[in-house]
This record gives sequence, C-alpha cells and structure tokens, in this order.
Amino acid sequence: MRKNAGPAVSVKNLRKSYGSLAAVADVSFEVEPGEVFALLGPNGAGKTTTIEILEGFRSRDAGVVEVLGVDPDNRRTQRWLRSQMGIVLQELAVEPFLSVRQVLTRSAGFYPDPRPVDEVLGMMGLADKAGARVKTLSGGQQRRLDVGLGIIGQPELLFLDEPTTGLDPSGRRATWELIRQLGGEGTTVLLTSHYMDEVEALAGRVVVLAGGQIVASGTPDSIGGRDTGVATIRFRLPDGVSAADLPVAGQPAQDGEIEIRTEDEVAVLHTLTGWALGRHVGLPGLTVRRVTLEDVYLQLTRDPDETGRTRQEQLR
Amino acid sequence: MISMQMTDPTETRRFYGLSDLRLVGQQIYYEQLSFWLNPIGAVFTIGFPLVFLILLGASAGSSRVKILGNIKLIQYYVPGFVAFGVMSACFTTLAIVLVNRREEGLLKRLRLSPLPTWALLGSVFASTLLVAFVQVIVLLAVGRLGFGVHLPTNIGAFVVAVVVGGLSFTALGAAISTLIPNPDAAGPVTNVVFFVLLFLAGLWFPIKAGSGLAQFSSFFPIRHFIVAVFAPFNPGASPWAWHDLLIVAIWGVAACAFAVWRFRWAPYRNK
Repeated sequence: MRKNAGPAVSVKNLRKSYGSLAAVADVSFEVEPGEVFALLGPNGAGKTTTIEILEGFRSRDAGVVEVLGVDPDNRRTQRWLRSQMGIVLQELAVEPFLSVRQVLTRSAGFYPDPRPVDEVLGMMGLADKAGARVKTLSGGQQRRLDVGLGIIGQPELLFLDEPTTGLDPSGRRATWELIRQLGGEGTTVLLTSHYMDEVEALAGRVVVLAGGQIVASGTPDSIGGRDTGVATIRFRLPDGVSAADLPVAGQPAQDGEIEIRTEDEVAVLHTLTGWALGRHVGLPGLTVRRVTLEDVYLQLTRDPDETGRTRQEQLR
Repeated sequence: MISMQMTDPTETRRFYGLSDLRLVGQQIYYEQLSFWLNPIGAVFTIGFPLVFLILLGASAGSSRVKILGNIKLIQYYVPGFVAFGVMSACFTTLAIVLVNRREEGLLKRLRLSPLPTWALLGSVFASTLLVAFVQVIVLLAVGRLGFGVHLPTNIGAFVVAVVVGGLSFTALGAAISTLIPNPDAAGPVTNVVFFVLLFLAGLWFPIKAGSGLAQFSSFFPIRHFIVAVFAPFNPGASPWAWHDLLIVAIWGVAACAFAVWRFRWAPYRNK
C-alpha cells in the first residue's frame, strides 16, 4: 500500500545541526521503489542522522522529506508509515531473556500483515534455534535475528544500518542473499555500510557522504570516475631486460615490479604485449587494476587538507 | 451501506479500541515473560524484601515497639516490607530495566515500530505494577502464615496506599532512569539511593515521629509511603494516612513531569 506513485524516498535540501555542528548540510537524493540504495561514508559523515530523519526518529531543521509519500515527521501518518517500514539499527537490540520465537512472535503482532514467524526463521537460518534464549545465541545469530525483526512486517521500505557488522564471511554472504531476495520481491532497501564490497555487491546506486554533504553519487562501478579513471598495469621485468628497454615509460614499484599508470590501458597494453611477443619474452605477473571502490571512497572522504580545500575541490 | 466518504488509508488514529487493548495485553504478557525469565531480576526484586522480612521477623521474636502503641515489631515489619517490595519492583527494578533497554537500543527499536508510544510505555508500567502486586500478596501471605501477623483492618485504605505508592514510585523509577547514562551504573546508583533513603525512613527500626531523623526523611516519599501502608494495619489509629499519601502523590506527579521532560529513547553513548 503506497500513498504515491513517485519515489520511495525523496530528500531535498535536508539540513540538521547539533549546536554549531552541521551534521547534515544540504543533502538531496531520491530512492526509487524496489531499488537497493546505499549511503556510504565514514563515522560522523551524517549517515545515521539522515536515516534517523527518514525513520521519523529525529526532526530536521530544514528541507523537504517524503518517505512512501508522507512526511515522516507528520504524527497523523506516523503509525501507518511505521507499519510499512522495517528498521535494523546499528546496535543489536533484542530482548535477551526471551526465546527467538517469542521475540519474533511479539514483533509480528505489531504489523497488519506480518510474514509468518516460521518463514522468517527459515529465511534467517534460525529454524533450529527457535526455542533458544536470545542471550545464548552467537553475535552473528543475534544479528540475523535482528534483521529478521526488520523484515517480519513485510515492509515496503527496509532501513539497514550496517547490517553485516559483526558477521562472519558466511553470515555476510547469507545476509547479502537475503537482501537480494528482498530486492527481487520489490522491497526498497536503504542501506548504510562501511564495507565497499558490500555496496558493490548489493546496491544499484550509492551516495557518498562526508562532513554532512554528498561528495559523489552514482552506480558503484561508475562513482568517482571509476569507469573512466586511471588504471594501473603491473608486471615483473623479464630476465635480461632493463626498464629502459621497455616501449612505454614505467616506474619501478617498491616490490621491484614495474608500474604503469595510464588512462588508456588498451593502447598501452597493446604496445607492451606486442613488444614482448616480438622479443619472445614474457611479462611475469601481469595485472591490470582499475581503482577500487575503496580507493575512490578513501579519496572522497579524506579530511580537508591543510590548504583548506573542500573535498570536492580535492577531487578536481 | 458503505460510507461514501473516502478515508485516507495512511491517516491513522492513535487508538483503535479493542484491537489496541489486545496489543497492550500481549505486550504485558511478554513483559512478564521477560521479567520472570530473567533470574537475577526476579530473584532480587521478589527475593530481597522476602528474605529481609523472614530474617528480621525471626530475629524480632516477641519484641514490641513502645513508640507505636506497644504493637509487636513484626506487625510493623510486614507493612514496612510491603512498602519496600512495592518500591523495589517499581523504583529500582524499573529504573534498571529502562536504562538497560535504552542503552541496548531496545527502546529505540520499539519506538520505531508501529506500536504506539502509549501502548509501549503503558505495558511496561502495567507490568511493573503487576509484579508489585504479586510482591504484596507474597509478603502478606508470609506475614500472616509465617508470623501470625493480622491483615489490614481496612482493606480499602491498604489498596489505595499501595496503588498510590506503586504509581508514584513507577514515575520515580522512570525519572531516575533518565539521569543514569550507563547500564553498569544503573544497579549501584539506584540501590544506593534507595537503601540510604530506606534506612533513614525507618524501615529497619521504627523512628519516633518528630525526631530529627523523622523530620529529615519526611522530605522524601519513602517514609510517607511506609507510614501510609502501616496505617491500615494499626488498630489504634486512623487507617487513612491522607497527609502522607498526598506527599507520595506529589512526588509521583513531579517525577512524572520530570520523566516526560527528560525521557530519551536513544542510547546516551550515541551522543
């Protein structure tokens, strides 16, 4: 049940300050229905404040916010909105002395059309723990229960604030699968994460926040010019060849490999491999690496440098 | 005939009658489960006043209290520990539960669920009062069956005193929870405050009306609550201690206002 046919989340010129500190300074973005959308940024970037405003937990100082077509601050529609949202917070928040089934059954009672408890137990891989007390679960199992509580109401929109923090690799993969499954069912997912591979694996679009502002947005593989930026070609020098013999200029890297940075890797590789074939030598350990999302992220979210340039200016 | 008025499905009322009351009933059930399944909570809340009553009752023997019309000491202890039990359930235990849940993020999560705030907090407070009620029954039963103490001569006055005290100390528990930022401090802080005031209020040894100690503790609600619970047991005086009940209620109302003003859902450690 939706109020509008427009975006699931719409944020325009959002601002929120705590005292003199601007936690969110003029942020705008939209999330389409059924999309998996990621907010990425270091601690203090304004991710949680933004999410809390969307959830209706915090009020905003300025800007226009619509979630599923209604203002999350509007008390008249708040109860309806909360029945359409699922929320997984950063901290594990589950009653320790109840059993897994009791906790899920309790939450199911809040929603008009909940998912059956057994279905959630199965989806979260907790079927054999249904009778166990929450406090006896491992950290990863508690986290999965936490996510299970987020989806028990069959939400239209799911907020996941760092959903895989504290999970082991197989737990992370299982949670990713679940998020993909929910996305496939048409659930809109708004995700925050510190993990670049997670954003890359799940999100259709990503917004990078730093210092309360959006410093980049786009798809995970194009953000920050990843698809067009510099590539790094590396290899070891073949026996009997010196760096001066190479047909393209390369720098010796610290580990003794040769490193070539170029924006035109196709032409450089063609020259390089043609030369090697002609000389009947190999290029041992040859790799071509484009900047990773992590590189872009670290560059984007670096603190303003001593010259006082803003983050956007550093990128130019 | 279907109403021709189109209602907006997203506009929700704050109260849906029976279905909301059923929701509150379910919450009270889970609150009770959560209380009784927590061994430490249940043992401390219910066990402490009980053990004290039994130990003090056994050591009091046939001692009598001159300043209270020469009644048996145990006849003073039973209402005293009924008051202690109510305060322990409503003030100490509730404060610790609220601090823990707030700092674990549980309050925030429930706040963001479709469960209305009044239903969420209402069921927590109702469950607290239910535990206090169980407490009162257990203490009265032990007093009557174990020590032969006579029950309140005026049941109405006794119930009113317990209910006024239960509500006021629930409000005080909620109020003090807002002053404790850290769950590790919740137990020590509330217990120290509570036990010092209990001691000064004359729970262990009856204190003379008009003495310096009585004047000091007459500022706090604990002594007034003990006096109000004791009155219906005291055959020689009026069962209604209106003046004391009024002071307990004033503390309750003030605590309520303070709790509403200071209450927060998010953990303190998140700013």
